[in-house]
Amino acid sequence: MVFLAKTKSPDEWKAVTSAISTLVDEATFEATVEGLSFRGMDPSHVALIDISWPNSAFDGYECDSALKFGVRIDEFSKLMKRAEKKDAVEVSVEENSLLHIKILNGYKREYKMRLIESTGGSTPLPKLNFNSKIILTPASFDKILSDIEVVSEYISIESDEKKITFSGKSDSGEADIIIESGSEGLEELQVKETSKATYSLDYLSKITKAISASGGSLVLEYSTKMPLRLEFRVANVGRIHFYLAPRVQD
Amino acid sequence: MDQMEQTTSRLELTNHLVTLFKNTPSDLIDKIIYLIQGKIRPDYEGIEMGIAEKTIIRIISQISNISIDKVSHKYRDIGDLGSVAESLLENKVQTTLFNEKVTIERIYLIFDKVSKTTGKGSQEIKLRLLTSLFNDSSPLECKYIIRFALGTLRLGIADITIMDALALAYTSDKKNRKFLESAYNVSSDLGRVSRVLALDGLKAVSEIKIELFIPIRPMLAERVQTSKEALEKVSGKGSVEFKLDGERVQIHRKGKNVEIFSRSLENITHYYPDVAEVSRSIKLTNFIIEAEVVAINKYTEEFLPFQELMHRRRKYDIAQNVENYPVSVNVFDILWASGRDKTNLPYLKRRELLKDIITNVEDRKLTLISQKIVTSVEELEKFMAKSIEFGCEGLVVKQTNSPYRAGARGFAWIKIKREYRSELVDSLDLVIVGGAHGRGRRVGKYGALLLAIFDKNENVFKSVCKVGSGFTDEVLEELFDELGKYKIPNKHARVYSKLEMDTWFTPTIVIEIIASEITLSPEYDAGMNSIRKGFGLSLRFPKFTKKIRRDKNPQDITDETELIQMYRKQRNIKL
Repeated sequence: MVFLAKTKSPDEWKAVTSAISTLVDEATFEATVEGLSFRGMDPSHVALIDISWPNSAFDGYECDSALKFGVRIDEFSKLMKRAEKKDAVEVSVEENSLLHIKILNGYKREYKMRLIESTGGSTPLPKLNFNSKIILTPASFDKILSDIEVVSEYISIESDEKKITFSGKSDSGEADIIIESGSEGLEELQVKETSKATYSLDYLSKITKAISASGGSLVLEYSTKMPLRLEFRVANVGRIHFYLAPRVQD
Repeated sequence: MDQMEQTTSRLELTNHLVTLFKNTPSDLIDKIIYLIQGKIRPDYEGIEMGIAEKTIIRIISQISNISIDKVSHKYRDIGDLGSVAESLLENKVQTTLFNEKVTIERIYLIFDKVSKTTGKGSQEIKLRLLTSLFNDSSPLECKYIIRFALGTLRLGIADITIMDALALAYTSDKKNRKFLESAYNVSSDLGRVSRVLALDGLKAVSEIKIELFIPIRPMLAERVQTSKEALEKVSGKGSVEFKLDGERVQIHRKGKNVEIFSRSLENITHYYPDVAEVSRSIKLTNFIIEAEVVAINKYTEEFLPFQELMHRRRKYDIAQNVENYPVSVNVFDILWASGRDKTNLPYLKRRELLKDIITNVEDRKLTLISQKIVTSVEELEKFMAKSIEFGCEGLVVKQTNSPYRAGARGFAWIKIKREYRSELVDSLDLVIVGGAHGRGRRVGKYGALLLAIFDKNENVFKSVCKVGSGFTDEVLEELFDELGKYKIPNKHARVYSKLEMDTWFTPTIVIEIIASEITLSPEYDAGMNSIRKGFGLSLRFPKFTKKIRRDKNPQDITDETELIQMYRKQRNIKL
């Protein structure tokens, strides 16, 4: 056995794969003694996902030595979808370049999936200082995005010590959403310096929809006209970081 | 590239290329060559980018924050998405996490990935791949990337010019072009030739040989007007073959494996499963042969005109088309047999080989092209009359002892076309370069098209006539849609025309034209000053024959020198 990871349900894997699938169609995971990780950037270099899934978050984890394995995300998700919420899942790589997926619930099902050549070259992380930090529930953030999406393809976020304004506009109209500290859904607001930046809704909605179902909390950090970082803390996975480059427009 | 697009002088162009090649690392040279030729891989591999215009419009809209409607509108106005991008991508709104330099290597790598992306959601992935290039490129660079991606990039640099530049850059001697040319002629892959030259030198280039399943650039025929002239060119004795009105193909076979290539080296095996099947019936199992595929009447097996055969070049309903438009395979040459190159054998020896292989000439599905050895004008003309009876276009006269010279046009092969009733002896293949708005029934379409001949020496296209007759509504519709793709805002840099037109096109689509005679005209640029100062040549009563010559590239059309010769001949006949 080279690598084996057990989870209590398929949900953890579903959250991870659906997050990755918003940016790329092939993913290379890296397994070490400490845990499983993934880092990848979408082809247009606008967004990046960095996942760290520590061994402690698994129901069981074995890894003899560090290894990389590549999978086609849509194929992997298709197999995962066969598992129900209460099914325990065991994912393993043996020395035959196949990914084994065992679904255990009363009886045992086993899929074997061909691995693809893992893409080398590690993606660096952008070095950033954040002036604003906002903690929300993923569900409330998802709602904000949907509200703006009705009129615009972009979202501007402006924050000061007391409130955050999310806004969007297009030829057809404008939308403004103001959330003051203490509002429901806003767990924390820390602003060192008033910040304002604009981002593509397309990327934000996709990633938020992919993960918000798994609950947890969401940390949004950014500075004026600088990339944004979303941190999703998902139960039994650890953290998922999502970086997004801003749009510069008036 | 911008410099090159603006350059019309071949010498200057060569110099630009030499500088470019000298500054290119050896292992990137093939990629540069493909990009200059407007492709990703050699033609015979049939690799396409498969990008929809809609996708490009979306990219431009996303990057510039200008609505899709506005971008589309602008596109309708100027007709070239490359130029639209150049003007709109001055201000990019989407930034990236990391800037990566746009190098030829990266462009090529991304194009390669784009071309390999297929299936559901592929346009979305292609969009993101290309977006990364645009994000890091200047507006001018974006223009060329888009034109390349859509397949509308036509730098119009002749292969010969590229080879001149390669020879100069790597051997400092233009004369060495001939080695490159012969390697190119057998491999049909200038990228490969350049790579071998850059990495392993000239000697290695001359070791590039014919290989099965890699098409050879076909040997071409010169044309003459009279039987007498033809016979003189072959020193009084020639082998005459029917010139059938079909598609010339190269068939490669090894065992059960058969691939068919067109005259322009495209792999067309899938259009002709029946041709592949009869090729498998040949007892020799390892060969490259050349044949003319002609449509035949299902019941009488008579030859049918070229237009009928073109039904076989549709992407869909192939099985149905095989059934409805049967063809006859008329073999006329053999270039490879049982693992050996046969191109150096004299023509008659190759014909002997063919006779051994194709024994049942009565079978129209697979036969040898009708041939005869002639030594007099009378014999030649009798054979011509016979060929016309069979619905042929004319004859090809071949020197009996000449080897097969891949990619070369010369008097070893000579074509004579049949006369059109009291009209100009020959049809001409011309390229569409401009259009005038139509009136009446043709409102919203083109009323007349401006056509041009090719000037090999200067590598430019020169206007020769406007044509409006001979078009059916159906053909007009088809042409209109297709021409839309090649619309450009201004006259193409390599087109000479004094006439102003409503629209201009990148010279791409070749059509066949007949006319009653060639006349002197001050309005057209073809043959300017060659006969009389201030006058060019034009066509009287030009008429479209309804043949769109998809098998021909703009560089293969009627050449200026040919046109001048035709004019002179016509005068002689009248006197």
